[in-house]
Amino acid sequence: MTPALIPSLGPAVPEILLAVAAMALLMVGVFRGNGASNLVGWLSVAALGVAAVLTLGLPGERVLTFSNMFVVDGFARFVKVMVLMSSALAIIMSMNWLDRENINRFEYPLLVLLAALGMAMMVSANDLISLYVGLELQSLSLYVLAAIRRDSAVSTEAGIKYFVLGALASGMLLYGSSLIYGFTGTTNFDALATLFGREGYSASIGLIFGIVFLAAGLAFKVSAVPFHMWTPDVYEGAPTPVTAFFAVAPKIAALALFSRIVLGPFAEMIDQWRQIIVFLAIASMVLGAVAAIVQTNIKRLMAYSSIGHVGYALVGLAAGTEEGVRGLLIYLAIYLAMNVGAFICILAMRRKDGMTEEIRDLAGLAQTRPGMAAALAIFMFSLAGIPPLAGFFGKFYVFVAAVNAGLVGLAVIGVIASVIGAYYYLRIVKIMYFDEPAAEFEAPMSRELGIVVTAAAVFTVLFVLYPSPILDSAAVAAAALVP
Amino acid sequence: MYQAIVFLPLIGAIIAGFFGRWIGDRGAQLVTCSLLVVSALLSIIAFFDVALGHGGARIELFTWFDSGDFAASWALRIDTLTAVMLVVVTGVSSLVHIYSVGYMSHDTSIPRFMSYLSLFTFAMLMLVTADNFVQLFFGWEGVGLASYLLIGFWYKKPSANAAAIKAFLVNRVGDFGFALGIFAVFVVFGSLSFDTVFANAPEFVGRNFLFLGQQVDILTTICILLFIGAMGKSAQLGLHTWLPDAMEGPTPVSALIHAATMVTAGVFMVCRCSPLFELSPTALTFVTFIGATTAFFAATVGVAQNDIKRVIAYSTCSQLGYMFFAAGVSAYGAAIFHLFTHAFFKALLFLGAGSVIHAMSDEQDMRNMGGIRKMIPFTYVMMLVGTLALTGVPFFAGFYSKDMIIESAFAAHTDIGEYAFVLGVAAAFLTAFYSWRLIFMTFHGKPRASEAVIHHVHESPAVMTVPLAILAAGAVGAGYLFYDYFVGHHYEEFWRGSLYLAGENVLEAAHHVPLWVKLLPLVMSVSGFALAWALYIKAPDIPGRLAKMHEPIYKFLLNKWYFDEIYDFLLVRPAKYLGLVLWKKGDGETIDGFGPDGVSAVVLDLSRRARKLQSGYLYHYAFAMLIGVAAIATWFMVMGG
Amino acid sequence: MEALLLEYLPILIFLGVAIALSLVFVGAAWLIARQNPDPEKLSAYECGFDAFGDSRRQFDVRFYLVSILFIIFDLEVAFLFPWAVALGDIGIFGFWSMVIFLGILTVGFIYEWKKGALEWE
Repeated sequence: MTPALIPSLGPAVPEILLAVAAMALLMVGVFRGNGASNLVGWLSVAALGVAAVLTLGLPGERVLTFSNMFVVDGFARFVKVMVLMSSALAIIMSMNWLDRENINRFEYPLLVLLAALGMAMMVSANDLISLYVGLELQSLSLYVLAAIRRDSAVSTEAGIKYFVLGALASGMLLYGSSLIYGFTGTTNFDALATLFGREGYSASIGLIFGIVFLAAGLAFKVSAVPFHMWTPDVYEGAPTPVTAFFAVAPKIAALALFSRIVLGPFAEMIDQWRQIIVFLAIASMVLGAVAAIVQTNIKRLMAYSSIGHVGYALVGLAAGTEEGVRGLLIYLAIYLAMNVGAFICILAMRRKDGMTEEIRDLAGLAQTRPGMAAALAIFMFSLAGIPPLAGFFGKFYVFVAAVNAGLVGLAVIGVIASVIGAYYYLRIVKIMYFDEPAAEFEAPMSRELGIVVTAAAVFTVLFVLYPSPILDSAAVAAAALVP
Repeated sequence: MYQAIVFLPLIGAIIAGFFGRWIGDRGAQLVTCSLLVVSALLSIIAFFDVALGHGGARIELFTWFDSGDFAASWALRIDTLTAVMLVVVTGVSSLVHIYSVGYMSHDTSIPRFMSYLSLFTFAMLMLVTADNFVQLFFGWEGVGLASYLLIGFWYKKPSANAAAIKAFLVNRVGDFGFALGIFAVFVVFGSLSFDTVFANAPEFVGRNFLFLGQQVDILTTICILLFIGAMGKSAQLGLHTWLPDAMEGPTPVSALIHAATMVTAGVFMVCRCSPLFELSPTALTFVTFIGATTAFFAATVGVAQNDIKRVIAYSTCSQLGYMFFAAGVSAYGAAIFHLFTHAFFKALLFLGAGSVIHAMSDEQDMRNMGGIRKMIPFTYVMMLVGTLALTGVPFFAGFYSKDMIIESAFAAHTDIGEYAFVLGVAAAFLTAFYSWRLIFMTFHGKPRASEAVIHHVHESPAVMTVPLAILAAGAVGAGYLFYDYFVGHHYEEFWRGSLYLAGENVLEAAHHVPLWVKLLPLVMSVSGFALAWALYIKAPDIPGRLAKMHEPIYKFLLNKWYFDEIYDFLLVRPAKYLGLVLWKKGDGETIDGFGPDGVSAVVLDLSRRARKLQSGYLYHYAFAMLIGVAAIATWFMVMGG
Repeated sequence: MEALLLEYLPILIFLGVAIALSLVFVGAAWLIARQNPDPEKLSAYECGFDAFGDSRRQFDVRFYLVSILFIIFDLEVAFLFPWAVALGDIGIFGFWSMVIFLGILTVGFIYEWKKGALEWE
């Protein structure tokens, strides 16, 4: 291909829109001052919404552009919509909170916007280089977001920890990429797939090391054990809306990226990478279930919860089949709703003297704030995977996929881990409903958040009745990824 | 008509039980009582039609099971035996229903009580009209359930609950035998229908089959297994311990279930299965032995009891023993005759005792009574009638039936018959003694109750006394009127084959025993009365001194031959110990230890360790990541990619 | 293989020249210059504060700000050189790519200027 031709920009329109919007809003913010942060926030949400609509409007078939480095297919569309939606929700969740905490910074929504752009690029990456660029754009934005409360020690600590470990992970990823390039001579996913698909191709140990390092870097991003260590500290230290954002959008994007890599270029090497994924999945599920039990801080608990859920999602990936990817996508969609809802409830844990994050502060919530307690209870039951709530179906589809792929042992461990994990979710319900009430929380959550949390709860409860939109579109997306 | 007899009580039970809240106490009483009275009147018509006329029927209701070789249907088998039982059950039941209206007037859950009573009546009717063993078993368990519910009616009282559980458990032992017997019947005969089984029974005389690894006689085994069921239900020696405790239930329940009807189910069953029992002399000997021993044993215990209801309960136990040994010596007519008369006078005694208790503000200990005959003269007379009937005073009901049994035992001319005769006569003496002791302690002498209680003593309302009067009439006249039918000249045309006899009719011989045998029970009865009079009226201080002098014997009797203690030692405590071991060691340490508790402890421990790993130091985290990469890389190096 | 390694020969030469030059400079200073050492002169110079002090010591973040901003524009220039050399080959798409890149940098520059990052006080 001659580089002189201008590549087709069509498939990248949502990303271009996000980038332009981010820069334009940066200018708006810097010229209007911090007073404009609400305006910037809503405009960011609008930009994300428009980007999501544009993404939905993209053609369904697989399209390549930018020298085959950028790909749009059904899978990318499905994941991008989720990512953009959760980013928009993260901004909505933060706005009220930023006002109250006097961190009136217009940079906040812009950083989310940039992170969303990075994630969208990750999801559409078809080359190790575009992968890295997207990943870094996302990561750098997130580092700053974690430390957005400059004057708070825990927030800055979270930021620095995330940054240092993230840099280490990026280094591993880059090192892995360079090994792969060194042993194959290409960074393009399609080219790699063609190469590995060749008759009699056997991977050298150096290439496998490359895969190991690449996988380690990605595992850090999805916070799979043993690359999870940053998660609890960062989740606890970062401001709650940031944590809510961390727990959803980057996880979805990174898991999607992970899927694209292992099922795209490395599809033929399933025997190798499956061992890694199975190990990560088991370790994540077990640790996520076990370590959360003794936590007293609800954000830390949600950190371990997200580690565990990544483990379950990886079970679907480990299956390595279309069914597995479909299970993974369903899982992520449901996880999005449950987690956003749960975090909005956590965000509403506010007393006169500021935010509280201790689990015991939820005591007797059912008496002081019955609606919020009911919503949180629904999310907890769903996260625990109790039928007929949505969370059960998420687990169900990945486990079924694993069993059909012959990974019975993995599914069994998953079920055991979710039984153990159910303990700490249900403990929260118990504390809310059966303990003596603690001091009441301040005024109820804002109207937007009320709407969102209600929608999430309704989705979680009623998924069982009308699951087909999610199931069908996830199936289409999975079919696009796994030929 | 027969369907109405059986199902009206069920309808009453359903209405009172499920809709008691809507129709209220009065409505529940009205519905159940009126339905029961209708049922009783129909039963009397049925009795005249079947027993005295020449009716009889087998009414197929519908198929119950039809599975392979196994078929059973709901059917009502109406013959003389059933007709007699119908009269007894519905008659006593309706009177008890009416009596309960007064007796339970202060209770808070009247509809429930009435519902249980009717439910019991339905189950009992199902039992006596059974056409096959399965239906018999259904009724058998139904009455057991109703008995459990009614003994534990005051479920807030721990002792009532304990008694209910005890009754249920002890009956379970018997029912296990009974069920085994029914299984054996099915295995041997391939059918559970009475007609088929009884018709084919003679073929199996002397044949053996394998049971518990032993070659045993088929019919003897079946009969003894069935009889074990009867022992449980009819409180015979060994499985009798629940009956005295069952007195925790309301008194009308004691009268209906634990005197007149349910406890006689065993006697009924043995008579119903007479075609089987007759073919196994060994089983009959066993029945006689148990019956006679129980008759004597329960009478001795009755002598030393102080609770008015317990005395009557042991008396019931003893009289049931009479019935069984009558059946054991093939005098089935005498057994049913005694069942029939006993139902009247024992229900009378119980309801009278209930009236006393009602009058004495729920006092049951006879030591705290005395001297109240002037205050409740009607009840006194009623109790007197019951006692005269029970002790076999001439021309009262008990005289005819009990003497017939004792004479039959003598006339059997077998070793076991002699044994039963001797014990029966001795028990007659004891019966007279404890019955009169009850009367004297309760109604004569000086009042021993507190002022307040005495002041409050009053005659019961008419709703309670009228049933007493009706029962008293039965206690007086039932023996004289029906003697000829049950055991006398009209024996053959009365029973019309519903009682089977293999050999000579022992009743025939019983009419021709020597005069001293005929007089002996009466002599015993009079001397029992005399002794009781001497000890409790003439010289009331002697019993206390006697008890002191012969303390071991007194204690032995007071503690009912230590049956409860022996069971406690032999069965309850080992079972509890076993349970404790299984619970603490088996369940607690092993299953919980390695199971839930162990797992949760391990999980918690792991959780704490995981938290420790989370040190907060950056370099630890980075180190963990590097270790992870190194571990995975090493894995692939070792596995060779 | 030989051909591949041969491609890296200029880099090797470059490395050798660099090492030789630095050795010459350091050696010349050591040989020719007048030696009058004192503690200040002997300590390493590191962005205006003590290299071996307590890591929790306070320092002025403005040094970092300036150096980070410098690096960004330094890299921009480093990008521009090869772009300028290859402009003939990459054509119109290459040209506009760089223009957009510069535009983005400009937006960032406006932002930091408005935020006051360029003023020392």
